[in-house]
Amino acid sequence: MRAKLFNNNLWLGFVLVALCLVPFVSSSKFLLTMLISVFLMAVYSMSYDLLLGYTGIVSFGHTIFFGLGAYSVGILLSKTKQPNLIWAAILIAVVGAAVIALIIGFLSLRVKDVYFSMITLAFAQLFFIISEKWSSFTGGGDGIAYVRVPTFFNDRVKFYFIALAFLAVMYLFLRRVVNSPFGRTLQAIRENEQRVESLGYNVLRYKLASLMISGCVAAMAGGLWTVLQKYVNTNVFAMDRTIDALLMTIVGGVGTLFGPIVGAGVITFAHEWLSSLSTQYPFLERWLLFFGILYIVIVMFFPKGILGTIRDKWRYKGGSRHAASDSKRRESVL
Amino acid sequence: MSLTLNLLLNGVALGSLIFLIAVGLSLIFGLMGVLNFAHGAVFAWGAYVGLAVYNATGSFLLGILAGTVAGIVIGWIMERLFVRPFYGNHVAQILLTLGLMIILTEGIKMVWGPNLLGFDKPAALTGVVDILSDPFPIYRIFTIGIGLLVLIGVHLLLTRTRYGIIIRAGVQDPEMVQALGINVRRVFSLVFAFGAGLAAFGGVVAGPSFGSLNPDLGMANQLNAFIVIVIGGIGNFPGAALGSLLIGIVQTFMAYYLPDVAMAISVAMMAIVLIWKPEGILGVRR
Repeated sequence: MRAKLFNNNLWLGFVLVALCLVPFVSSSKFLLTMLISVFLMAVYSMSYDLLLGYTGIVSFGHTIFFGLGAYSVGILLSKTKQPNLIWAAILIAVVGAAVIALIIGFLSLRVKDVYFSMITLAFAQLFFIISEKWSSFTGGGDGIAYVRVPTFFNDRVKFYFIALAFLAVMYLFLRRVVNSPFGRTLQAIRENEQRVESLGYNVLRYKLASLMISGCVAAMAGGLWTVLQKYVNTNVFAMDRTIDALLMTIVGGVGTLFGPIVGAGVITFAHEWLSSLSTQYPFLERWLLFFGILYIVIVMFFPKGILGTIRDKWRYKGGSRHAASDSKRRESVL
Repeated sequence: MSLTLNLLLNGVALGSLIFLIAVGLSLIFGLMGVLNFAHGAVFAWGAYVGLAVYNATGSFLLGILAGTVAGIVIGWIMERLFVRPFYGNHVAQILLTLGLMIILTEGIKMVWGPNLLGFDKPAALTGVVDILSDPFPIYRIFTIGIGLLVLIGVHLLLTRTRYGIIIRAGVQDPEMVQALGINVRRVFSLVFAFGAGLAAFGGVVAGPSFGSLNPDLGMANQLNAFIVIVIGGIGNFPGAALGSLLIGIVQTFMAYYLPDVAMAISVAMMAIVLIWKPEGILGVRR
């Protein structure tokens, strides 16, 4: 019953086929690069949605994991000069992300949920400073330029399909996770933590596992981000990166998985568009101000984002009472 | 004056500044369970408004006054429009205050531009005095004095006035306060505006101490305040004071001896407290 419209495999297949056709319709390198970055940001935001939308915990340091991925690819590839070590680098990043998630989660999730927001923020700042100060290892404020990536990735069309496949696999994986008994427990924690606790579940363990999965996925996205950019610098640990994930998830639709993909597309293209206009209208340089206002309006009045709101409208038309009450209940989440 | 004493005094001065931010954050959280992620941005707004008025009128006192009023107004609007409709919904409150942080920070860049702005000390507070035959900047002494005054003032407010009693009771059990016929929501608004006003006041006082302002000033100082309230115990007034002093002193010493790891030490201290006594050094286990 749930999400017939958007989680329907047929619908998904249609979108996938349409995206597969893009390189054959347009060979614009600019467009393909934009779409690749949309796909990577979409995976990053989906991993954030697992925390925010499905577990109900607010991280303000999600970029820690993204940055870990980005730096481990950048550092390993540039230090060894072996482009083929990319998969090893991503593996290291994933393991590292899992360990860091465990440490941060253990410190903060034991206490109060609000501690988690504060402490993730503090750790993100710590990683930012480490990446800046430990310059012999990370290249300091300049970062690492000209990361040599496998030649395979230099072909934009090939990279496009890799990124698309990555997005599709990660979407299916996370959908599998949230629909599994484990994912159902996470959603139960989101709805009523005390009740889950009193049913005998170890809530802390579930939250930790959710954070670890989310961190690992974000690290993979970060690793491929360096492959796309061919450089990495302290920006990957900046607060703005976490804000990206927040904006994309909130705008697209919290707790929908597909929403963050839509959000990533909307935000990336809108950002590009506003930046290109800002040469004419200088006030558009403050594009984040407009996104901030949009973000507040959505949190206050459309707590389910673009996708959730459309989905509710659609269901409501169908006149299904069950769906309406279901959506009302979900409204209480955010 | 020995180097150690000098660093110690500098640490107390820094601690006073952090305290001005932390006390509002801590009280607001203790009373209404809201962690205000825009608190640092209010600090920055206070500093910028204070600087603008100071430059326009030449009076530092007027600058402090204007900055504080700006903070109170921002805090009051924030509580009324964005926090109040969402009491009981922590996720929405956290997300909204972060959104406000983005807007307030971008607003500063829009009004005053993204670059550094110099903030000179007022003439009366410039220069040095000799402490134990070594020079020490007057402005630092002024900062320490302000921190002490606020500490005593808030302490008296909390322990000696009717509102203070209501606030402390509200931290313990807001529903009971409401049941006793007190409009607890109005107390919430007042404390929110008061906390924001203190942060903005702290911003103006901190300005000349930093020497210059940048739009991201709020975030950096807010992080210190977060670490302070985790260490001292959230919602705990003496804890906020002790934590500020501790972090101020440790950061000053680290900045002198091992500048690269100053932040790491603060985070490490927070981690230790979280493992050893998650409710904070002076916190009470509930």
